[in-house]
Formats: sequence, structure tokens, C-alpha cells
Amino acid sequence: MGLSGLVNPYTITALDGVAYGLLLFVIAAGLTLIFGVAGVFSMAHGTLYLAGAYIAWQLADGGWVGLGLALAAAVLIGAVGGAGLAAAVRPLTDRPLDQVLATLGVAYIAADGFSTVFGAEPRSVDPPRALAGSVSLGGYQYPVYRLGFIAVAALIVVLLIWLVERSRVGAVVRAVVADPGMAAATGLRTRTTRAAVLVGGGVLAVTAGVLGAPVIGPAPGVDTTILVYSLIVCVVGGLGSIRGALLAALGVGQILTLGVALVPGAAAFVLAAAMLVALTVRHRPSLAGRPA
Amino acid sequence: MAVALPWMVNAYLVSLAATALVMAVLAMSAQLLVGLAGQPPLGQAAYLVVGAYAAATLATLTSLGPVQLLAATAAGAVAAAVTGLLAVRVRATTFLMVTFGVGELVHAAAGQWAPGGSEGTHIPPVVALPGLAPLVRPGWVYLYVLACTLIIATAVIVLTRTRFALLLRAIAAHEPRVQAAGHHTSRLLLAAYTLAGAIAGAAGALLVAVTRYVSPADAAMGISAIALAAALIGSGSMIGACAAAILLVAARDWAGGLLSGHGSTLLGLSFLALAYLPRHRLAGLLTRRDRGRT
Repeated sequence: MGLSGLVNPYTITALDGVAYGLLLFVIAAGLTLIFGVAGVFSMAHGTLYLAGAYIAWQLADGGWVGLGLALAAAVLIGAVGGAGLAAAVRPLTDRPLDQVLATLGVAYIAADGFSTVFGAEPRSVDPPRALAGSVSLGGYQYPVYRLGFIAVAALIVVLLIWLVERSRVGAVVRAVVADPGMAAATGLRTRTTRAAVLVGGGVLAVTAGVLGAPVIGPAPGVDTTILVYSLIVCVVGGLGSIRGALLAALGVGQILTLGVALVPGAAAFVLAAAMLVALTVRHRPSLAGRPA
Repeated sequence: MAVALPWMVNAYLVSLAATALVMAVLAMSAQLLVGLAGQPPLGQAAYLVVGAYAAATLATLTSLGPVQLLAATAAGAVAAAVTGLLAVRVRATTFLMVTFGVGELVHAAAGQWAPGGSEGTHIPPVVALPGLAPLVRPGWVYLYVLACTLIIATAVIVLTRTRFALLLRAIAAHEPRVQAAGHHTSRLLLAAYTLAGAIAGAAGALLVAVTRYVSPADAAMGISAIALAAALIGSGSMIGACAAAILLVAARDWAGGLLSGHGSTLLGLSFLALAYLPRHRLAGLLTRRDRGRT
């Protein structure tokens, strides 16, 4: 059978890498668009993921209703959180460093709040019972939830790329990324776009938290880990570019799973090298942080 | 008064003061980049940890504090020179993002590769000068750290009076002009980054002298964030950065201890205050440059 030759421990790990990469993409897509559109590096982006993961831990009860409730809460909290961040950075327009400090302050306060409310120990979130088992892939057991996660995340990827690259909303967003001054001059409401992207990024990050909780569960420090990896995805993929982020996220996902399995301990060096290559190959942006 | 501190307050406050001095040195390292060159670093704790591990490794051979300090300084400089290749390719907010990423990667790598793994490693007390007894009591450790901090601060303040520092200030003000004058700005920034790494490495050796312990957790983002925030509060001045670092450590550890461990909320609130309170500092310069280019 041709399939069994293909299925070995490494391809199973690579499949994990796809799940990890897609998860990172859903989070990093928001981060990269927020940076591209609003020029804000939101240090609270990982916090939003962690919020989603805690929502899943709180509401997901192993049934579809729990998951649905958690997703609804995620959309609500993501929108509120994104709008809150938009309001927080609004008075700091054109002061990027202060925006970083403000979002960092929010991240610190939220992290302290999480560990007070949910405790300092890592929580594990069970997937819905219908997806709790595992299937046999050429002799290896693989969790069904992870396959389902890959399918859902791939759907989100397609929708997101369609939204950004094919829809009218996406055209406005891309116009503001490319040239905010010209976009404003042609009558586009750049302020509304900025706020909308922060809200959209927030919804994506919290939703990713709910869906990703069985993969990367809620624990103190997860916010920073997620923030760093999605940041690396943004830098490697080119800030403000959604397709770049997808490729980079899949690559980073493989480095963090397959790479760790093949050469343990080298992941940090490979990621740093990837950033170096990405920054060297892409000629220096003429505008700080804008894709060349 | 700073010298008399060990005789005035209890041992806990004395060791807290020593920790604050370590953070003051790290804040000077951040100030060199953000205050002079206008590039905000959010990964200085990485070089602190590199220095701390260098000192810890050397501690198996010699307990002599100054030797450990020099080795840590060199290790911090080498680490910064290598990783700086990444950082100096970008400016402003992207510089902050890249240094943050590099810092966290060092944090992750330290857990993998450093002696003791994520558990960290313990170090015997240092000896200030050959022939003296090991520094065990917090008061003596504090005085040793204070002396080292004063030496480092003097060196840094001399550095800020040089032509090199003027060129860095010029980069912060208007980089294209510096390039037009024939200077290789990325090389200048790499030199500044290496020096900042050296100072952070020295802070690492002092940290080891204070805590006699180093773990990858010392490379956490929180440490880098405090260093950067202290540098920003100091608005360009080295002394200001040191004072701000001491205040922030006091807010996190001492006042946070009084508020039953909510030091990080207090820290978050001070970051928010720092962002919203109106004040003139280098961020204004940064944004003015961005606006000029749009």
C-alpha cells in the first residue's frame, strides 16, 4: 500500500506541525494586519489567545453546546477586547513606542488577573466528546480533534485570504496598509479601518484560543509564547502580508514540531536564522515596518 | 547614604536594593540604544542571561568576582554582536519587535542548552578581591554590586560624551543625513548594540553575585520590559534610567509584596501611566521621523 510508506513517525509529526502552523496563522494574521494597518505592535495579542483558551476551559463541557457557547463568548470577548485595544491606542496615534507600552501594560494586568482567577497551574481542555477519540492513520493513532482542527483552520485560512484579497473590505484594508495618506485622501475612513482591524484581529485571536485550547492549553506564560511565535511569523512573512504570514506560519509550525523531533534544541537557532534571512532578502523597507 | 544602606535597613531590603542595582545596569544598557540611538530594545535580558551563565560557568574555576564580571561582559558583547546582525537591519517599532523575538529565542535556547536546563544552576558566593572572604552576607554583596555599578556607570557616562555617542544621537535624529555624511549607520548601530550587550552581560555577572543562582527565567520578557521602561522614564539620561529602574523594582517586588503578590499588575499600571502621561522624550523624535518619511 502506497500510503503506509508515506505514514511514518515523521509525517505524523509533520501533520502536528500543520495543525500548529495553521493555529499560528490564525493568530498571526490578526497581528500582521494590525501592524500593517494601524502600525500597532499589540503586545496584548497573546493575551487574547490565552483569554480564548481559558474561555474554552471554563465553558467547553465535552459537548457541542459547550463548544458553541465558548465560540460565541470568544467572538464577543474578542470584539470587546479588540475595541478596547483600539480605544486604548487611539490617543497614542503616531507614538508607536507608547502604543507598545500601553498594550504591554494591558498584557501584564491581564496576565496577573488570569493567574489570580484561574490559578497558576496549567489547565488541560478536553475536545468535544464526538471528536475525542483517535483514528488510525496507516497504523498510527492520531487524535480526531487535531484533524478536525486542521480542517476548520484551513477553512478560516481560505475565508481570511478571500476576505483580504478578493472582497471590497479587504481592498480597503490593503489600501490602508499600502499608503495610509493616499487612502485617506481618496475618502477611505482610515480610522474606522484601523479600529475594525483591531476588532477583527481580536476576534481571530480569541477564537483561535478556543479552538486551539486542546492543542496548546491555557497556562501562565502561554500568552508570551504565542506572542513570540506569531511575531516571528509576522517578521518572516513580511509585516502586513497575509500570504507571507501563511507560508511563514506553516514553516514555523514545522520547525517547532518536525524540527524539534529531528534536531532537538535547534528550533531557536533555526527561527532566528529564518528571521535573519527574511530581513536580509527583503530589502530594507522604506517606511519603518512596512513590507517592501 | 547608598553606601550606608546595609547598616540602616534589614537584610531583605538590602538584597532588594542589590537586585535594583542590577536592573539599573540593565536599564543603562537599554538607554544606550533607545536614549542615544533612538532604537527601543525589548530583549536586553537575553544578554543579561548570557553574561550570567558565562559567570556561572567560570565560577567552577574561580570565585573571583571581577574576573567573572569581565568574562560576562565579553560574553554579552559577543552574543549581542552576533544577534545584532538581525536587529540592525530594521528600525523603530520593528527593531523592538525583532529584539523581542531574539530575546525570547535566547530565553528558549537557554532552557535547552544552558547548564541545569530550565531548573537553572547554583553558584558559590563570589570573592570581591583575591585574599578576601567570599561575599555571603547581603550587606557585603550589596556593597560589591554598588561598587561595580558605579564603575560601569562611570564608563557609560564617559561613553556618552564621545563622538561615537554624538553619531548615535544623530542617527536617532535623522538617519539619512548621517548616511549622507558618509557614515555606515548600520555598523554604528551594531557597535552600539554590542556595547549595550556588554553592559547587559556585566549586569548578568552582578545578578549571579546577588542571587548565586541563574535560570532561563532571568531572560523573561518582563526583565527586558522593565529595562526598556526604565530607560524611557529616564528620557535619555543614564542617571534617570538608573533611578527609574530602582523605582520599578521597588514597585514590582516591595510594593507588590505588600499587595500580596500583585506586583505585575502594579508594573502594568506603571507601563500604562508611562504611555499616557504627556512627556517629551525620544518617542517624539521617532514618530517625527516616520511622519517626515510619509
